[in-house]
Amino acid sequence: MTYKICIDIGGTFTDCLVEDSQGARHIFKAPTTPGVFQNGFMNAIGKAAEGFGFEIGAFLDQVDRIVHGSTVSTNALVEGKVAKTGYLCNAGHLDVLTIREALPKPVFEWRLDYPDPYVPRSRTFGVAGRMTATGDEIEPLDEAAVADAVTAMKAADVEAIAVSYLWSIANPAHELRTREIIREIWPEVPVTLGHELNPIGREYRRTIAAVTDASLQPIVSRYVSALTGALKDAGWDGELLLANCVGGMMPPEDLIRQPIYSVMSGPTLAPVAAQQLMPGQSVIVADMGGTTFDVSALRDGALVVSPEARIGHDMLGISKIDVRSVGAGGGSIARLDAGGMLRVGPESASAVPGPACYMRGGTKPTITDANLVMGLLDPDQFLGGTMPLDKEAAIAVLTPLAEEMGVSLEEAAHAIYTTSNNAMVGLINDMTVKEGIDPRDSSIVVGGGATALHIAEIARELGIREVLIPRFAAGLSAFGGLISDIRREETATLMQSSEAFDADRVTEALMSLQAQGKAFLDAAGVAEKQHRFEFIFLGRYRYQSWEIEVPFTLTDAGLTEADLERLVKAFHDMHERIYSVRMDEDVVEFTTWKVRVTGECAEKIAPAGKVPSETKEATVRQKRPLYLYSAGAKVECPVHMGGDLIAGDMIEGPALIEEPTTTIYVPEGVSITLDTESNYLMRVG
Amino acid sequence: MTEAAGNMGRETDAPELEAHLLPVLSARLSAIVREMNATLMKCSRSSVIKNSKDFSCGLLTYDHRLLSVEDCIPIHIAALEHATKPITEFFDDIRPGDAFMNNCPYTGNSHHADMTLCVPVFVDGEPLFWTLSRAHHADIGAPIPTTYLTEAATIYEEGVHLPCVQIQQDYRDRNDIIRMCRTKIRVADLWYGDYLAQVGACRTGERRLQELADRYGKDVLKAFIRKWIDYGDRMMEAEIRKLPAGRWRFETRHDPVPGVADDGIPVNVEVEIDPVAATITVDATDNVDCVPGGLNLTEATATAACRIGVFYNLNPDLPHNQGSADRIQIRLRENCAVGIPRYPVGTSVATTNLTSRLITAVASCFAQIGEKNGMGEFAYSQALGEAVISGQDPTRDGLPYVNQVFIGYGGGGASHGFDGWLASGAACDGGQMQIDSIEITEGMYPVLIEQRGCAEDSGGPGQWDGAPGIEGTFRPLAGEMTVYWGSDGDVTPAKGVAGAGAAATSGNWMREQNGAERVLPAFGDTTISSDQAVRFRACGGGGYGAPSERDPDSVVRSVRRGWVSPSRAQDVHCVAVEWDASALDWTLNETETQRLREKAGDAR
Repeated sequence: MTYKICIDIGGTFTDCLVEDSQGARHIFKAPTTPGVFQNGFMNAIGKAAEGFGFEIGAFLDQVDRIVHGSTVSTNALVEGKVAKTGYLCNAGHLDVLTIREALPKPVFEWRLDYPDPYVPRSRTFGVAGRMTATGDEIEPLDEAAVADAVTAMKAADVEAIAVSYLWSIANPAHELRTREIIREIWPEVPVTLGHELNPIGREYRRTIAAVTDASLQPIVSRYVSALTGALKDAGWDGELLLANCVGGMMPPEDLIRQPIYSVMSGPTLAPVAAQQLMPGQSVIVADMGGTTFDVSALRDGALVVSPEARIGHDMLGISKIDVRSVGAGGGSIARLDAGGMLRVGPESASAVPGPACYMRGGTKPTITDANLVMGLLDPDQFLGGTMPLDKEAAIAVLTPLAEEMGVSLEEAAHAIYTTSNNAMVGLINDMTVKEGIDPRDSSIVVGGGATALHIAEIARELGIREVLIPRFAAGLSAFGGLISDIRREETATLMQSSEAFDADRVTEALMSLQAQGKAFLDAAGVAEKQHRFEFIFLGRYRYQSWEIEVPFTLTDAGLTEADLERLVKAFHDMHERIYSVRMDEDVVEFTTWKVRVTGECAEKIAPAGKVPSETKEATVRQKRPLYLYSAGAKVECPVHMGGDLIAGDMIEGPALIEEPTTTIYVPEGVSITLDTESNYLMRVG
Repeated sequence: MTEAAGNMGRETDAPELEAHLLPVLSARLSAIVREMNATLMKCSRSSVIKNSKDFSCGLLTYDHRLLSVEDCIPIHIAALEHATKPITEFFDDIRPGDAFMNNCPYTGNSHHADMTLCVPVFVDGEPLFWTLSRAHHADIGAPIPTTYLTEAATIYEEGVHLPCVQIQQDYRDRNDIIRMCRTKIRVADLWYGDYLAQVGACRTGERRLQELADRYGKDVLKAFIRKWIDYGDRMMEAEIRKLPAGRWRFETRHDPVPGVADDGIPVNVEVEIDPVAATITVDATDNVDCVPGGLNLTEATATAACRIGVFYNLNPDLPHNQGSADRIQIRLRENCAVGIPRYPVGTSVATTNLTSRLITAVASCFAQIGEKNGMGEFAYSQALGEAVISGQDPTRDGLPYVNQVFIGYGGGGASHGFDGWLASGAACDGGQMQIDSIEITEGMYPVLIEQRGCAEDSGGPGQWDGAPGIEGTFRPLAGEMTVYWGSDGDVTPAKGVAGAGAAATSGNWMREQNGAERVLPAFGDTTISSDQAVRFRACGGGGYGAPSERDPDSVVRSVRRGWVSPSRAQDVHCVAVEWDASALDWTLNETETQRLREKAGDAR
């Protein structure tokens, strides 16, 4: 028997998903060990070994691949525990990281603390030397100033250096020369150059990516060494792959070279899983946990990428798979404001003390408490019965709120339930409509343990008819890791327009990007027949300055002048799709060219949705009282145990389905069917 | 339109709204406005809109009550309801598919460069809402290539005026109106692209509201509107009841503007808080008559400014709808520079200069209430960092360009417990403007931004410091460039409150071919070539509380940021800092700081 493993480190638990050579999958969990994440990582493998009845060494002998989504860089950023970084910039432009693009703030709010720049001004060094937009040098680089700065940084034990000059994307000579000078003075210090890491216009975005990347270099490098060391000590020498934030995997040495790509990589694996479950479709991936609700999306089967991801007050600067969050989780707290309107979240009881019904000292009504009062949760069935809930405690914290609202206890619980659903509807709306995805033409894939109680009502509100609750919903990200591809993006800036289009130069740039991508895949050991290349340009109408991503096809022959019409049309179509207007007469500008490189993973999962031709209504074995808003009272509703159901079983709402790690609510007018892969297919309205 | 249709909400006996629908539908309206804003920003062409976000969208009821606005330019949105009122007076045949353009200061608009597109939204044949998008256009066809005409004493010297003109019918442009605008407005393709982005925003909002009506039904929406405005009223009531009763006055003064107001323009305001009735009265009637230039406010901006000054000092989570707005009673006078202009007086600069003085005057009344209330004054500035630049680009075959740049702004005033917000701009901006990327600006226009950064020691020192202003130097990279600017704060900067100091003044300078620098006036225009340059420093914000009370670690942080010099730390804050080269950092000298503070205490 051989095994494949995916290890996903979460805030509380480290999940280890194991697939055996028959394709069966099993989940094991060990507590996450902040600071020494590799310990939790090894413990989780230990748990799996134990589960299969092996010593860890003997188990690892049979493991041929480990894929891993780490939170080490995300944590370092969130906690501000990054390496001490120095930054070289143009003289006269020391405040790129302070001014940013002007920070967003609520319009009437002034009681705010303006955040510090990512690298303090005291470690920011301005050196003379200037390029123009067209790449002409109008002032030579002050090499002596560079040398002085590097010497000062070396004396102060700086751990990494970022270099980011204006217009280095048009002419990188000053950045390249600066690195040479650094190497002469201090050969071993890690250096990130803005134009190499993130060759895009807008100096803040390129620079914040460069300094972030530099500040993570020592951390990610130390972590990966510790991890590979621990695996080696346990006797393992198979293939280790690490998740990146563009929806795939990278060999460790590539991630060490560009560690920024490991930031927020875990949650990006959820849409990767959805991509295989519902190929080619427009999909919204909804994942509700204890404190947040995360949303990502697929447009016609393609991952949606955002250039504007933020961590704290700063952008990440690079494009990553778009995953957005609102503070709506099981622990979100409900209250009435001064005007008498119900508000749910963003304040959260989190895991500690947690909802009142957890009996850990929570004293405020939360979404979970409301769900328990409505009867959506069974106090004895939570997490497969491993964690009893206290319904009396939930009632005690909800009663004062209900009195204040002047409604019954159940009505108050229902109002909390509906209000929280709507916060999630708002987030999905924001995410999809701005990306040109009409929710009504999409389906939802559910991830996370708490989502399935809410998703039917959310879908109904959005006009979505089809919801998939995969068998591994509660561990959707780890599942995505197991089946994800090796991925990377190669980017080049080359300004072209529909008026002046040099097909040869574009072809040359694309071929060179493709060659870089191929070299990456070869180095990662991906067989040639598994190589995939997607081609994308960033385009805009003349005088617009926000580009949109447009995919296009490229043959081995490259582009000719005749292809221009096709590219321009693809741009108009995408612009219309996203913004509902097109301007066919206008000049289209192409600013950036990308090749998205994929080494396809051999593991594939069967698309969801295959249902036996014969379906039958599932037998009702038990019932429990559930508050139905339409009835204005509690009504006895059927409750099914997931383990009792077989493919083709169909259930009409209202009903509940208890699974070991989740509860599914099927409201009135909604039906659900179990497919051949043990996924639940929900039809709404 | 008929009276009956206009009276949705208050008088109808619509059913009681179920409790959960208030948060549900208000969140939905917010989402619709956010989507409108995103559409407008991402599709627009001129950098004043697409990069700097000088635009706003909002929703009104069909009977002109403010329903929903999102985080946008406050001077645009705080009195948005004035923009549609004249439309229903002028037209008695408003139909689905219509769209009206209003940029006229005498029909409820803010100023001529803000084109406000108003789209009526019908549900089952009944008009229920207006969707609005207001955007500051790069050019509006004035005699000279700028949208801020300080010396334009009458509207005859301003750009195109469209006083509620039907610009779309049956969802299609009225080509005669478009042709008129294209004829008169410079770089008309840019204007038309921005106009289309506004259409996209309003039509998106229209579609979403109709979908909402399909989902919930017209009656529920009507019940919601009533509840929602009532909710704004109750939230505002609770907020005002927390304040003490009293009456406070404040006077500030706009800098002299040669030929328009040689001695400057005093701005007086009185704020009366009545916690029993839960109302706030803002009286701006004690002010000078209209001045012979473009600085006069419009009724929309004067009203908005009074509301903004109040809202800045209240809970920011208040719903900013008609319910909360109506608890602010505003007294304005006709033919008043800070009030209602008398036709045909000029108002081309109505959104910025006197507006910011008025907002600050109202906000400063709150500072007099006592501890923890109020805030330091905001920067007064429209210095060269916000110039309108124009010329012909020699690198693009002489392609003409005209656009307002947003290279640098003033800083925010401090409040109790918080320093001012960097790059908040003047009080009229609410910190909502984005700042130009140097590469985007240089890539689009033949300009070189030699320097840009925070101006050291330009914020007003206090226990909490005002934010510094942004300074910068720029020049044409090739060819000649004309720049127009209209500053304030060159003479009277933003003052501090509760013992804090004033900010540095704003300023504008010119560097000649020989490298010598000379001061430029606060208002003006000049044409420079690539061997010259202009430099600006935007005004900082005023501080809050005594500077010698400032937490020493916060002083070190300000020095580390380059916002405060070591000498100012010592002289003004009585804090000694030292440079530690081995750590590349500033540190606190505690002993010396203690000595300085004791000495300052003795002196007091």
